[in-house]
Amino acid sequence: MSAFTDRLIGALGADAVKTQPEDLAVYSFDAYSQGPLPTAVVLPSSARDVSAAVRIARECGEPIISRGAGTGLCGGVIAPDGGVVIAFPRMNRILELDVVNRRARIQPGLVNLDLSKHVASTGLFYAPDPSSQKASTIGGNIGTNAGGPHCLSYGTTVNHILALEVVDEHGEIYTTGVDEPGYDLTGALVGSEGTLGVVTSAWVRLLKQPEAVRVWVATFDDIEAASEAVSAIIGAGIVPTALEMMDRLTISAVEAAFHSGFPDAAALLLIENAGFEDDMDACESSIARICREHGALTWSAARSQAERDNLWAARKGAFGATGRIAPNCYLQDVVVPRTKLPSMLQAVEEAAIGHKLKIGNVFHAGDGNLHPLIMYDRRDAREVRAVVEAGNQILSAAVDLGGTISGEHGIGYEKRDTLARVFNPDDLRTMLRLRSAFAPENRFNPDKIFPASAGCEEVR
Amino acid sequence: MTVAAPRRVAPKNAEELSDLLAACDRAGEKVGIEGGGTLRGMGAPPAADVIVQTTKLKAILSHEHADLTTSVQAGMTLGKFFDSLASAGQFVPLDAPRRRAATIGGTLAAGWLGPRRHLFGRGRDYVIGTQIVLADGTIAKAGGMVVKNVTGYDMSKLYVGSFGTLGVLTQANFKTLPMPPGARAFVAPLPIQTRARAIDRLQALSIPPSAALVVNGYAREIDGEDADDGRLVVLIEGSPALLERATRELRSALGKAGVPETRIIDAGARDAFERTLDAYVSTVAERSITYRVLGDPVGLAECLHGVCALAERFELKTDLIGDAMNGDAIVRVRDDNDRAFSSKIEMFDDALHDLEPRAIVIAGDAPMRPILNLWGSPPAALAQMRAIKARFDPNNTLNPGRFVGGI
Repeated sequence: MSAFTDRLIGALGADAVKTQPEDLAVYSFDAYSQGPLPTAVVLPSSARDVSAAVRIARECGEPIISRGAGTGLCGGVIAPDGGVVIAFPRMNRILELDVVNRRARIQPGLVNLDLSKHVASTGLFYAPDPSSQKASTIGGNIGTNAGGPHCLSYGTTVNHILALEVVDEHGEIYTTGVDEPGYDLTGALVGSEGTLGVVTSAWVRLLKQPEAVRVWVATFDDIEAASEAVSAIIGAGIVPTALEMMDRLTISAVEAAFHSGFPDAAALLLIENAGFEDDMDACESSIARICREHGALTWSAARSQAERDNLWAARKGAFGATGRIAPNCYLQDVVVPRTKLPSMLQAVEEAAIGHKLKIGNVFHAGDGNLHPLIMYDRRDAREVRAVVEAGNQILSAAVDLGGTISGEHGIGYEKRDTLARVFNPDDLRTMLRLRSAFAPENRFNPDKIFPASAGCEEVR
Repeated sequence: MTVAAPRRVAPKNAEELSDLLAACDRAGEKVGIEGGGTLRGMGAPPAADVIVQTTKLKAILSHEHADLTTSVQAGMTLGKFFDSLASAGQFVPLDAPRRRAATIGGTLAAGWLGPRRHLFGRGRDYVIGTQIVLADGTIAKAGGMVVKNVTGYDMSKLYVGSFGTLGVLTQANFKTLPMPPGARAFVAPLPIQTRARAIDRLQALSIPPSAALVVNGYAREIDGEDADDGRLVVLIEGSPALLERATRELRSALGKAGVPETRIIDAGARDAFERTLDAYVSTVAERSITYRVLGDPVGLAECLHGVCALAERFELKTDLIGDAMNGDAIVRVRDDNDRAFSSKIEMFDDALHDLEPRAIVIAGDAPMRPILNLWGSPPAALAQMRAIKARFDPNNTLNPGRFVGGI
């Protein structure tokens, strides 16, 4: 027992502080990688607990890593080596529900889907729906500014956060708002990957459930035609609520896992439109026409809520379903301007062929946000090397096409050295001014987002 | 000490602006920033040695119609920007007053909150990238040209609404929306005694209007024969089929609220809405101050009533716009007599902030502006805001004193 852990136990109680290696191991990974063990994990029950833990960590010179459910895909919550991980399973409540003004105050450990389930009977829902929503927490979603299929029309997490309660490096608690005069601290904090402070509660916006929802599936015999259909739909000024694409490899994995009745095809589009009944027929016929003009083989509509739910369950379970194809899978996250989708898909295919890898594609096509799934076997040293190289090639292709290296997963640890491909030193130094204002000692998640290389010292 | 008139400079590009700001920063000269001047009534006028004008930064850098994205320079007027988007059947819901004069940079810097935000989101939600020049001359970009982006900090969020106190915006990239195919405006007389009921009904509509504004006064700014007794201006946008149903539902709802007569404007529907929007910042010589109170929609009727009663107590005349969908109250207080106005407004300002601590001043040429509480109660996180200002503009060169808490 170190003085550090003794002090944490003294402040939060033995029950809220984990120090055994087997307990720490549970908090040493995310959905992408495993890192070294932290010195301690604390499970606060209140903002005061968080404040106490932060204060002690600072006095002991330890880094602080706040963590949701660990569903992240870029090593964003991996402890640097030692330090204290703050996890929020005990802060998972809805503190206030204001139905009239359509908002709720929640604790960061609340599971994303639990919020929508809880408020469903009031006719409201929480719009951001990352595929991990059954497990991921809203606190974690705030950290990464999580998206999801439906952010095409509803916007990402930042558009749905109205105010935050935050603990700073000194353990002081402060609150931020939206629409109040003053800098938009809420907008700056959302998506900062836990590097600027620890969020201890949030006011979130709830939306009225739409009166009509339709979900359609269009299949294509070639992925380029499908992606051109996507560009044409957006180009025609139609922004459906969700516009998702899956390729053959992913469809077969998803079918094996979910039996959703997806037809065998080179590519399929899963399209949802939510809104008013009056607009649905016209919307359906426009999108169907564009799909047919781009060579769609089939067009079908979900006939019931149950069918819609099945289709979405299959789409959101696609990442997990690829476990049937290969023992390991590396999920990339890049964005390109929407008209560049066909070129980007071609670049992904070239990376697959060039590195002799299987790469699946399941992604938010309407946003131009691709998720190439690179399948491999961790025990095969050649494949591991090839995955890294292919991943790099895909990132470069996205940047070359005017896109960027992360649309919704974040930079975390994994992509920090590639950040300089998108931003020059002046851009990065400007971001670091923001970090030094919120966290002058760089105590929160210190080794994330920004490059670690020599260039970084210049940047600092 | 003599106060010289500030030097006005209009840089041709970010590099020229960078040289200018860096020189001022080194020399200890204070820099004010001017767009179209339409929102100059927000915040304290900065004591500046140099005024940067963005008039020469007015190009559209790109508009990829099929991507629904565009990149523009900060000095472009909203009017030109919207016209160009409209020619491609697109729009960005910035909804700031006086679009022919207002600039992109000014509208974003002011963090303007428009009446259609309850439906489409805030202006900040449409900014996908920016270029900014900091006080020390650093030219920095943030974001990009993609609609979804978590690559590094979202610095653009910080710049929107920062009133030029962190840097001078030179470029903004937007995601755009397809323009709704149809628009219809409804104008109706709205007696004060039916206002609260009408607001309730408007908020409960199953097809929410794009904007629903209740107006009292502003007779000169917004044409309408029923100026004294109040008016309602509603904008509905959508497909023709949706407009038909929305029309039926709106008429029925207003009928139940005691507003039987509504006039439909199909040709120029959005113009009727924009005339009301322009009134937000209209002033009466040097004898008016306009406040904006941001509240919840459910509290709007009570807020309008309370502020009006207060103005009456101080024998001030009022013009009001209530945004039924967002809950904003726009209140212009005035007096025809110069001297009477200046003696009343300071006391009114205090009393108003006791009633509505979040009231901010958005317009008014009155010379007594400096003694008013322009920003309402200070934000809870003022210390964090000061820390940010200190990192971005340590010499306090840019727009000194214009913003909250003297930032």
